[in-house]
Amino acid sequence: MESQSRNVWIKEGDPSKLGALYKDGYEDILEERRHTSDFRWCTRSRNVQFYQYRHPRNPKQIKDSVLSSDRVQYAIEQVIQESGTTPEETENQVHSILDEMAHNLNLSSVRCLAYVLTKIIKRLYRRIYVNEEGIDTVRTLIKEYPVLLMPSHRSYTDFLVMSYLFYHYDLPLPVIAAAMDFMGMKFVGTLLRNCGAFFIRRSFGSDKLYWAVFTEYVQTQMCNGDAPVEFYVEGTRSRTSKSLSPKIGMLKASLEPYFKAHCPDIMVIPITVSYDRILEENLYTYELLGVPKPKESTSGLLKARSILSEDFGNIHICLAPPISIRTFSEGKINRHIHSLSPRYIASLTKDEEVLLKDLAFVVILTQQKHAVISPWALIASVLMQKTNGVQFEELVKDVEWLKRQASNCGAYVDWPGNESPEHVIRTRLLFHSNKLTISDEDLVELKQISPPSHVDNKTSKDTIISTAAMHVMTSLYRNQLLHVFVRIAMVTIPVNSCLQETLSINSLFEQYTFLETILSREFIFQPGKTREDFNKVLVLLQHAGGLVIDEERNIKIKQSVNKYTTFMSIMFKPFLLGYWVVCQYLLSLAGGNLDARPLARKAKQMRIETQQLILGLLSEGIIKHYEILSLDLIGNALDSLVDMGVISREKRIQDIYFVPQCAKVSRIAAKIESMTEVPATHITDFSTFIIRTVTAKL
Amino acid sequence: MKKTGAKIFKEVNVVDCGSQTDRKISMEEKAPTIPKRRQELLKWNGWGYKDSKFIVNKDEHVEFTGDRYKLSGHVMPSLREWMIKTIGISLDHRVQSQPELTAADIPAPIKNEAFLHDLRNARISHSDDSQDRLFRAHGHTLHEVFILREGRFSRIPDLVVWPTSHDEVIKVVELACKHNTVIIPFGGGTSVSNAIECPKHETRMITSLDTSQMNKILWIDEKNMTAHCEAGIIGQDLERRLDEKGFCTGHEPDSMEFSSLGGWVATRASGMKKNVYGNIEDLIIHLKMVTPRGVIEKSCQVPRMSSGPDIHHFMLGSEGTLGVVTEVTLKIRPVPTCKKYGSIVFPNFEQGVDCLREIAKQRCAPASIRLMDNEQFQFGHALKPDTSTLFSSFVDGIKKLYITKIKGFDLTKIAVATLLFEGTSDEVASQEKRVYEIAANFGGLPGGEENGERGYMLTFVIAYIRDLGFEYYVVAESFETSVPWDRVLDLCRNVKDRLHRECKDRGIQFPSFATCRVTQTYDSGACVYFYFAFNYRGLTNPVKVYEEIEASARDEILANGGSISHHHGVGKLRKKWLPQTIGDHGTGILKAIKEYIDPDNIFGSDNLVSML
Repeated sequence: MESQSRNVWIKEGDPSKLGALYKDGYEDILEERRHTSDFRWCTRSRNVQFYQYRHPRNPKQIKDSVLSSDRVQYAIEQVIQESGTTPEETENQVHSILDEMAHNLNLSSVRCLAYVLTKIIKRLYRRIYVNEEGIDTVRTLIKEYPVLLMPSHRSYTDFLVMSYLFYHYDLPLPVIAAAMDFMGMKFVGTLLRNCGAFFIRRSFGSDKLYWAVFTEYVQTQMCNGDAPVEFYVEGTRSRTSKSLSPKIGMLKASLEPYFKAHCPDIMVIPITVSYDRILEENLYTYELLGVPKPKESTSGLLKARSILSEDFGNIHICLAPPISIRTFSEGKINRHIHSLSPRYIASLTKDEEVLLKDLAFVVILTQQKHAVISPWALIASVLMQKTNGVQFEELVKDVEWLKRQASNCGAYVDWPGNESPEHVIRTRLLFHSNKLTISDEDLVELKQISPPSHVDNKTSKDTIISTAAMHVMTSLYRNQLLHVFVRIAMVTIPVNSCLQETLSINSLFEQYTFLETILSREFIFQPGKTREDFNKVLVLLQHAGGLVIDEERNIKIKQSVNKYTTFMSIMFKPFLLGYWVVCQYLLSLAGGNLDARPLARKAKQMRIETQQLILGLLSEGIIKHYEILSLDLIGNALDSLVDMGVISREKRIQDIYFVPQCAKVSRIAAKIESMTEVPATHITDFSTFIIRTVTAKL
Repeated sequence: MKKTGAKIFKEVNVVDCGSQTDRKISMEEKAPTIPKRRQELLKWNGWGYKDSKFIVNKDEHVEFTGDRYKLSGHVMPSLREWMIKTIGISLDHRVQSQPELTAADIPAPIKNEAFLHDLRNARISHSDDSQDRLFRAHGHTLHEVFILREGRFSRIPDLVVWPTSHDEVIKVVELACKHNTVIIPFGGGTSVSNAIECPKHETRMITSLDTSQMNKILWIDEKNMTAHCEAGIIGQDLERRLDEKGFCTGHEPDSMEFSSLGGWVATRASGMKKNVYGNIEDLIIHLKMVTPRGVIEKSCQVPRMSSGPDIHHFMLGSEGTLGVVTEVTLKIRPVPTCKKYGSIVFPNFEQGVDCLREIAKQRCAPASIRLMDNEQFQFGHALKPDTSTLFSSFVDGIKKLYITKIKGFDLTKIAVATLLFEGTSDEVASQEKRVYEIAANFGGLPGGEENGERGYMLTFVIAYIRDLGFEYYVVAESFETSVPWDRVLDLCRNVKDRLHRECKDRGIQFPSFATCRVTQTYDSGACVYFYFAFNYRGLTNPVKVYEEIEASARDEILANGGSISHHHGVGKLRKKWLPQTIGDHGTGILKAIKEYIDPDNIFGSDNLVSML
């Protein structure tokens, strides 16, 4: 080594001795904290650059400007006229809404939290990787335009990590739209407020005052660029690790100022926070199975202390290239339409709303694109198909194969290039040893997980529930990969189930469209892009998946059924099966008689009854996919059927009831049957089955 | 083009308005200031008089030549640095204008011999001299001046006629109709909307109808306080000659040195002092317009009447598409006894705008009130001449204030309002008091008379300085809009941001310069005026790039609730935004009027709405 002449300019010649501070455009922001004083870091002076047109304001001044704004004053007058409340009452209402909502961002609280947080984060995580290019872009942008941060939402940690990141890089600290869940927590609520969280009710329907205060509060901060505004377009933490369909209320409120020409542009920054291991994996698993989550409380938080002794690996934060709303809407929207009425009265036009919905999908798809796939997600995907265990050697082979397929589809896999595949996989298996065992014969198998403390004894002892928990928890990680392959599977499923020798592209597209429609609550598809997606996937499959298309544009089935297509189809089979069972449940509500009027049920009741039915089917061994027990899947299926008009919603007194239209349901069930294997059971069996299981439960 | 300010003349006559008895005064004839052969006095490829221009002298300092203006003969020591710093010019990189175009460089005239024959018989002065035609081929948009400096016109007028009276105009229009030739009326040539540019594909003979020889004030009616003038009279002559009799119209667009009364009517002009005197539409009592259908005029000269839609409004802003304005009866006022400038310094532009809005709300605006943003203030700073005592306190005044009174004002944030008061000295004193009181509520401090006066000088200087910019690869232009009060700030910020961003996106290597001022106030809104310049070194097609950027700025203006134009007009430059501004039926009405008045498109300038 010493004799190598390159040593003149090489600092560390042995690659195995290189640290992991930098890799592939990412930089670890925790490393530095491990060597320097946390105290000094938290008290250091910060040189922060703000939006160029910002007038500095404190949280109190922001609130005052909301109160005196035209929009809020106008709403107050309206409410006084409509409901006859006195001006004082109404003003007081506004005050209390605003007090409930507003953040109280101040640097001293942030410094305190930063201190504690550093200590905690260093214990929980090994490294927090951030893409440096993204930070550089944000740093310049923040001076030029108001910035909207839109991170993915998988964990409570997202919020803390994001603020921590902005503190680390001397960027202006974001203000974050949070759900009301935390607000009730003693001390913690206040602390979060002081660190920039502001609280929004989940629904506020036609409450004019609330609308006005909320809109003004968000917009005044957007326009003045007091701070970057951060919110979760998915609305809530995704318990399944799959992206959730976007909620566009907050997006509308934050981007409206651009359409009303209050500001020159707004920069939307999609951000993906990827976790090696999710802090809430246990809680999510049981929540998905129907064990209610404990209410957010400070004492609950303290109880969760034990988690501090565990290792959650790395976090990857990727700030995607910004989307300028000006560029995004160029040529599609003419803003002059808002010239004819005061800007605080009029709302967005239909076209603008459609555009923003489109944007919301683009943001989520961008988040997916920049997700960092951990090797464990690949392992989990293989294990989910081998629930009886798999030999380590075979696992390595399959994972390596899958890694290549994921990369071919454009996914970013966090695979250390300087380690052997065996080493990579074995370290990941050990890292997730709470979920699996490796026998002396090197057989890798999922194992029962220990339930969180709030799960009662009876539930945790239930063998079906605990098997399901084991599967569901692993599925959380496999799910990280699904968005990469879902469009492919939507082609391979019809191909693999085709009984003819050839399948025309047109009928394939028809089936693809059907799958996209029915799965649109489960996965994210950009509306209006079906054909484009389909064409892309066909090319990809021809190049990488062995799909054979002849000159007449027909798929040659025999040649096209292979390991690749089969693997993809099997990966998504549980979803189809789950949707099929939901259909069977709905049919059973009419006793199997397609012409009979089925019983109406509330949505929640439907979910629970379907889950019961699945529980029964699992215990009788009729189906074997335990993950179907997930309430999320059942709920998605029901919602999607509502979207498709297969279930109609009826309002009775206060509540919404779901009424299935059996003929349509049965058509859908039949379509699913034609694409995947289902148990050979009759609908009538199901109805008696349900009666049996439901009464048994009672 | 509304460029030149009020105090541009070397001497300002404040004539005491005598106490004559009311009578009708007839005026003697005088030759117009701008001669028939414009090229003898005016630049052929730039703005204004030949003798007045910015040059870089042997010491590499910027100097303004001539003896005509207050700034003439002075050196502005900090202007060079400002130009280097703000727009990135380099004295080493110069681009010269092409030599004066000769007859060979100019398209040969299309001749309709029959028309020419009839014209000769009618004894109406005309010329097909190439220089005469070239001088009437263009206005003063960047595009047009750039062609003069570096390019060739593909279509220019084939003939220039100089009718000397309403009746001669009738004759010319009759002949044009008879022989199917095109007429494009020409007044002062200060258009900034491409309105006098010849349509490229026009194959008929185009006659430029120069109104400059119709420059008489036919009579002044003291009892009714009106003056009846021929429409070719230019602003400075009109005011000077009225002044001799103790009157004024008070209509002072920045271009008044060159622009004509008929041009004001045809473009819906606006004067700096409209707060006291009104805009052109408020000043007009009677109009005569010669059209292919015949003469349009009302039969009485009343202050107001209810007689269906006002036919004056078909003519106002018709931009030469319907006919030629030949005679105008205008309101006049006695020359005010007291004229006083003033200025207010605000901590920032926002507070300045709030203050102007309050002044407008209280309806106590002085004759003129303008608010410059910080960039424009800095620009004014850079124009400080070296020696003159007149200018000694140019910005020093503000600096002194800054040190003594307004500590905490940030010189990179302040905005300056310039004021012009008119009336009796008592009136002026009470107006001043009220305005400064309101300003104080918005953090504004009086900044002295001289700063005010200089602010108005700036507007005319800018017109000349563009020609210096051209020499150093800088293209510059101004454009304007009107906008409701609630959107003024957003519009100013967003448009400037858009300009800078479009420059960046187009790979312009140097910092761009964008500045604005609120230049007129109304009860419900304001007029905002933008200046924009960038250094195009490295670009192959600066004019095209400039035009794209200006178009995006206009899009931005409309998106911000602003208008297509406050007083520059539509011409050909802004045609594409007219339908969205006035709607399909609005354009339908314009077309229907055109169809009735001028079915053969004799007035074929193709402004406003295309008839095809």
